[in-house]
Amino acid sequence: MDTFVLTKGVPDFREGQVSFDEDGHLERGKTPTVMNPNDEQALRAALQTRVRHGGTVRVMSMGPPGYKEVLQEAMETAYADDLTLVSDREFAAADTWATAITLATAIEHLGTPDLVFAGFKTADGETGHTGPQTCWGLELPVVTHVVALDIDPEARRLRAQRLVEGDVEEIETVACDLPAFVVADPEFEPSYRTAGERLEHKALRGQARERAENYEDHLTMLDHEQLNLDPDYVGLDGSPTIVESVDPIPKAPAEREATAVDPEDSEAMGELFEELRPHGTATAAEAGD
Amino acid sequence: MPDIDPADHDIAELGPMLKDVEDAEELRAILEAERDGQDRDPVVTLIESRIDAVSETDEGDPGEIDPAEHSPADLGNLVRDIEEPERLEALLEAEEAGEDRSSAKTVIENRLDAVRGGDREDSEVASPEERHPELDHPTADKRHVRALEGGVYRDMWVYCETQHGELIGVSAEMLGKARELMDDYNERYDADERVVAVLIGDGVGDLAEECIALGADVVVYQEDERLERFRHTPYTEVFCDMARGAGHPYGREDRLKKEWRDYDEPRYTVFPATNNGRDLSATVQAELDSGLASDCSDLYIEDADISNPAKTGEPGTTRTFERVLHMKRPDFSGFEYSTILCLDTPAREFHPQGASVIPGSFEAPQPDLGREGLVVEHETPIEEEWLKVEVTDYDRLEGGIDLSGHDVVVAMGRGIGSDPTRGIELGLELVDAFDDAVLGLSRGVITASYEFDGHVEGYVAEERQIGESGQVVEPELYLACGISGAVQHKVGMDESDTVVAINTDPEADIREFSDYFVEGDLFEVVPALVDSLESGELRLGEAVAADGGEQR
Repeated sequence: MDTFVLTKGVPDFREGQVSFDEDGHLERGKTPTVMNPNDEQALRAALQTRVRHGGTVRVMSMGPPGYKEVLQEAMETAYADDLTLVSDREFAAADTWATAITLATAIEHLGTPDLVFAGFKTADGETGHTGPQTCWGLELPVVTHVVALDIDPEARRLRAQRLVEGDVEEIETVACDLPAFVVADPEFEPSYRTAGERLEHKALRGQARERAENYEDHLTMLDHEQLNLDPDYVGLDGSPTIVESVDPIPKAPAEREATAVDPEDSEAMGELFEELRPHGTATAAEAGD
Repeated sequence: MPDIDPADHDIAELGPMLKDVEDAEELRAILEAERDGQDRDPVVTLIESRIDAVSETDEGDPGEIDPAEHSPADLGNLVRDIEEPERLEALLEAEEAGEDRSSAKTVIENRLDAVRGGDREDSEVASPEERHPELDHPTADKRHVRALEGGVYRDMWVYCETQHGELIGVSAEMLGKARELMDDYNERYDADERVVAVLIGDGVGDLAEECIALGADVVVYQEDERLERFRHTPYTEVFCDMARGAGHPYGREDRLKKEWRDYDEPRYTVFPATNNGRDLSATVQAELDSGLASDCSDLYIEDADISNPAKTGEPGTTRTFERVLHMKRPDFSGFEYSTILCLDTPAREFHPQGASVIPGSFEAPQPDLGREGLVVEHETPIEEEWLKVEVTDYDRLEGGIDLSGHDVVVAMGRGIGSDPTRGIELGLELVDAFDDAVLGLSRGVITASYEFDGHVEGYVAEERQIGESGQVVEPELYLACGISGAVQHKVGMDESDTVVAINTDPEADIREFSDYFVEGDLFEVVPALVDSLESGELRLGEAVAADGGEQR
């Protein structure tokens, strides 16, 4: 099974401070970049496929040259064989559709594999669109919100469980022939059922660590000329949407006037206790008598 | 008098009746009767479209176009072949002198702009091939570039998601919001555009009346037992086939003209931000080659002054875009609100403007059973090719913990960090000290990767999370123990009657939405509360009690 995994570098929101330029676009240069947390499940799904059925895992991302380190992290996570960074100033500030066109073209350029994996939302844009839209560009069958995956390599068929939301939450089993496009849900869990699989997993980990140390030897960069993409149709120029404005989430106005309570002040604590007492077990027992 | 007297029928009856009339003369007589009689605009349009349909002639020669003989959508197709501005101007004059339909004039004017703009561009801007000689195939030939030129866009389309033969809650919420937006739109822009509800599934036609009662003017539905469960490709193909008007350059060639519409694609599309609804929004907008914003919490329509050169075509200029759907959404992991716009560029039209909305963002309207609307059954031929993904089984997700419906919620946050296991134990003890309470958690506890001892580990799970990405609770009493109070947490609990926060940080945000703020360590305060609740009288810790005694 040959697979591609799509991943993205995102600002490290754990660090807090994120800055924006005057047009309202995120200033990525000023925020540390990390691998998108939701992509981890896509990488693990690809790894599971590789451990169980052999083949290759290739990781692809689109972004500035600084994203190379994100790919290193991805290589370590998926034990990937090689890395591709689709990178060109013409691709900058793309929305999901312009991104999807670019990624779909890059995947076709390298040769569509048996399976393409993507994660759910990114931590910055949080759209959840890029996976399904890239798939639409590739005209592959798509299975999204996948929490468990099984592949029958002989029949070249996948079976997956996926989550459905709505007024009732459901788990759905779907099946389709390969090649296919799989979007992993944040709740995706890989599973290694046999001792053989677990041994294989361990062996691959050793090899992958070595590769990841010299990850740049396994990295290919692709620009718009190599992909034969007209700059008018990618990046900001090719994006249907723009961010008109970015506003801080307004701090909720104080809707309640909090009474300050010093836990050592029995009077204040007494007042608070009067609020709690009606719900207490002791009170309920009295009322029941 | 013709066989059919239009005065005897409402428009819903007339549609099917007219379909059987093949004779243009007969139709003209009916039209005459309507004009002399009630002269209802939609009925006139309906009859005219039928006349167009039966008197359709060779469209290859746009030489002799009488605009009055064509519906606006047809006209849109015809004028695409005209390159000379003079002929378009003459056509525009003829329309103005004749029926003066605003949508017909728009298509001619759009073409006129395109033709004139083309002249201008030719002189200033080279073709893509000349500008990018390093590329041998312009991307414009790629299959995913499907924008229209001089397209006509009308109405707000709402995808109404269903489960097991019922509309889901967010579908009603979207219809209510769409009704409100389009009522306001029609007044502000002196327009007459509609809310169109889309239903796709098995037996979904039964829900059409409900969609109308909730605010739809038109319901377009397709039923097929193979579409009982959501499937990406056929749902996308059916939605787009519905959305595209007759003669659409990327639509089915055998698409019949529809009497109820005279445009190429919707102006706006709205989808639910559920797993399946969000996916559909992405693929539909991709197929229609346009953009969208996902997970919106607010929508409004107004003009926008834009100076982004990608959209104005020229740096340093500002252009006013009219009737823009403003899509407001929380993003960057909840750090910011962005307002997203989907706008045409000088080179490419990006319509419809699409959005998906977070369930619960808008109020569901009261159904108005007296509302009237048009119900249209749609029949896209389903191709085997679209059905590659099969749904073999499905099951309701059982279990999970319902945190709502309890008198008291005890929620624990990262204040437990110094001894997480003891922190959860204390939370459980406090729960037990109340008559009807349940344990909740902040997102922080779930993502913190604390090490818990086995006996409390099972309590630390997403199913107990309170907040935007968890459950929303509104108990009589909410105790927030060691929770700092991020906005995402607030939305999950701020409807509670009484909120008590226990926190060591006097500046914690949660203070802003608490009724009582106990500035102290939950490891000391919670045991005192447990003791007091169990005994029925206030019992502070020994040292504290002595201290309190002195104060008295």
